[in-house]
Amino acid sequence: MAKLPTPQMLVSSRPAFPDKAWLDTKPEFAPGSYCYPAKKETMELLHMPNPHDWDPAAEDWNLPDNWEKILCDAFEERLEKHRSLKLFMDICVRCGACADKCHFFLGTNDPKNMPVLRAELLRSLYRRDHAMLGRLLGKRVGARSWDKNVVKELFYYAYQCTECRRCSLFCPYGIDTAEITAIVRELLHEVGLGIHWIMDPVKNCSFTGNHLGIQPHSFKEIVEMLADDCETVTGIRPKTPFNEKGHEILFITPSGDVFADPGIYTFMGYLLLFHELDLDYTFSTYASEGGNFGSFTTFNMAKKLNAKMYAEAERLGVKWILGGECGHMWRVINQYMATYNGPAPSNMQTPVSPYTGTVFANAASTKMVHIAEFTADLIHHGKLNLDPSRNDHIITTFHDSCNPARAMGLLDEPRYVLKAVCNNFVEMPENTIREQTFCCGAGSGLNTEEIMELRMRSGMPRGNALRYVQQKFGVNHMACVCAIDRATLPPLANYWAPGVTVSGLHELVANALVMKGEAKRTMDLRQEDLPNVTDDDDAAQAQGEGQ
Amino acid sequence: MKAIAVFRNHKEELVRLWTEAVFNTYPFETTGFLRTKKDPFGNPVADMTREAAAALYDAVAGENVDIETTRNALDRFIKLRAVQKFTPSQGLGVFSLMKPLLRKHVMPELVIQKKLADYLEAESRLDSLTLLAFDLYVKDREVLAQSRITEIRNQYAQLARWAQKLNAASPLAVDDE
Repeated sequence: MAKLPTPQMLVSSRPAFPDKAWLDTKPEFAPGSYCYPAKKETMELLHMPNPHDWDPAAEDWNLPDNWEKILCDAFEERLEKHRSLKLFMDICVRCGACADKCHFFLGTNDPKNMPVLRAELLRSLYRRDHAMLGRLLGKRVGARSWDKNVVKELFYYAYQCTECRRCSLFCPYGIDTAEITAIVRELLHEVGLGIHWIMDPVKNCSFTGNHLGIQPHSFKEIVEMLADDCETVTGIRPKTPFNEKGHEILFITPSGDVFADPGIYTFMGYLLLFHELDLDYTFSTYASEGGNFGSFTTFNMAKKLNAKMYAEAERLGVKWILGGECGHMWRVINQYMATYNGPAPSNMQTPVSPYTGTVFANAASTKMVHIAEFTADLIHHGKLNLDPSRNDHIITTFHDSCNPARAMGLLDEPRYVLKAVCNNFVEMPENTIREQTFCCGAGSGLNTEEIMELRMRSGMPRGNALRYVQQKFGVNHMACVCAIDRATLPPLANYWAPGVTVSGLHELVANALVMKGEAKRTMDLRQEDLPNVTDDDDAAQAQGEGQ
Repeated sequence: MKAIAVFRNHKEELVRLWTEAVFNTYPFETTGFLRTKKDPFGNPVADMTREAAAALYDAVAGENVDIETTRNALDRFIKLRAVQKFTPSQGLGVFSLMKPLLRKHVMPELVIQKKLADYLEAESRLDSLTLLAFDLYVKDREVLAQSRITEIRNQYAQLARWAQKLNAASPLAVDDE
């Protein structure tokens, strides 16, 4: 009789004792764990090096013949160019403080997703050519040579890092693992390896302005449809100024908010707020994507896409730029923009709120203000008439988006706004918020559906914290200030904490905003009935009868 | 001694052994971390496993548990196993790892006390719980598949509305009538 395997045999996913060292264990490219490759035509259009057709699941990735030389040269060039990279390669003492801080490690339990080991994948190559001990002692001190499997491994793990920088927070040396990941992605691009969900938006942003490649006139029409929806809800049709010269402010937000549910409701929130303020502003179709998809590929691409902001600010003659709720956009602005494309054009000035007179001195260099800062300032000065009871059916928590939290320290402003527009606010556990916030699991261009399974794994620490407050405090809503979050958190919440809805901050602001001359609000921006609305006339009558 | 008392005596040890058996399904370098860190948010996988282990054992032992409470405790653990890099048999097979533990630690005592029938009932309860887990697992995988479809739709939601509006306004639409 044939022997069936025992459950123990079936379950065992690894031998009782590892037969290979961690550096020799190769990743397995199973569907659901890797992103689709970028199309050759896309890479050609963008003049990326060595464009070619390839399949991550295939044995042969069709690398160019001299791939090893290309990679070695490119790595050396980056080491010359970025002093920080050389430092990060040299100073890690492998203390392990970062090891258990990565959401990918916590979700996958794959040792190479410990930030220290992910960086070690590159560091081991660095040792062979650039460190004396590595040159002399080779493998004994953790140096190794390039081979095609190493390239695959770098690809596998560079796209299992969302560049969220939670690990850097705990590193005693402040090693920025996100920057190491960014460099690895750059190196891979040198041999033509990129992913579709990043390169397609990069192409579209390069050629038409927004990430879906919608032509300017259509983009404008779509925004006007959102203004129509605003009118349905509030009775007021907000203006939608586009490409107009001579305004004080240029407003730039991720284009995802124009196209994607539930981001569009946040966009409607902006429109209504600006209309109520009678803000002197314009949109631009040229600079219509705040989120910088280039920053997920190479520094040069990030610079190119970022350049549109100042170019358009100069062309339109605005004084400063107001930026929408976005993640990586703000990291690029605060950390790289001055080096990429600074200083700001001469027509720009340090931003001053036209309603409160507040000088945003923190934006003296970039000339760009985050909308959460802007709105928090308005609320602080009592410039907005708010009725938070309209959001009373919501018990909300706040997800700190990685980049605004860790790259610009935007921690209290969104909370201040949220508490002003919602009466019920609950924080998630302390080690999952603010600077220690857990990533949504799909930032840095990983919010693509083919890796949904991987995203549920990497987003698990966030989902787990959300589930906790849902069960303990009845939380049914999560607000955030990032367009990628608005796309990725709904499926994450639906998986780990079903019943929790997700929205941007300004959707809730507009729901609570009492506008001059508005019709009685019976529904929210999603055109769902507001449960707490009483029919005033009936209520007044009933009261009258009672008296 | 009643059978349930024997089960209770072994609870702490068996919950620990099963939890470790589950941890052993992860890469060797990770097991130590899973075992040592107790923070429910800093080490969620271990927390989920421990919660499931206790609930599973109580239900198997024949404690007076509410099915919904057990389902809730298992739910989070199954969600995890359903998205981690396991085959379905590896994902759910951990439930079968309880059997050899029970046979080694609990069964001999119950056999001596001539309570084999009670023991076999406990094993049957484990089988039922595995089936319950199977339901949860399949539901989770369905949610996952649905999420991919919903996400594709959501990404272009406003674009689709715009396209429909264009179509309605097109002269061709009138010609059709």
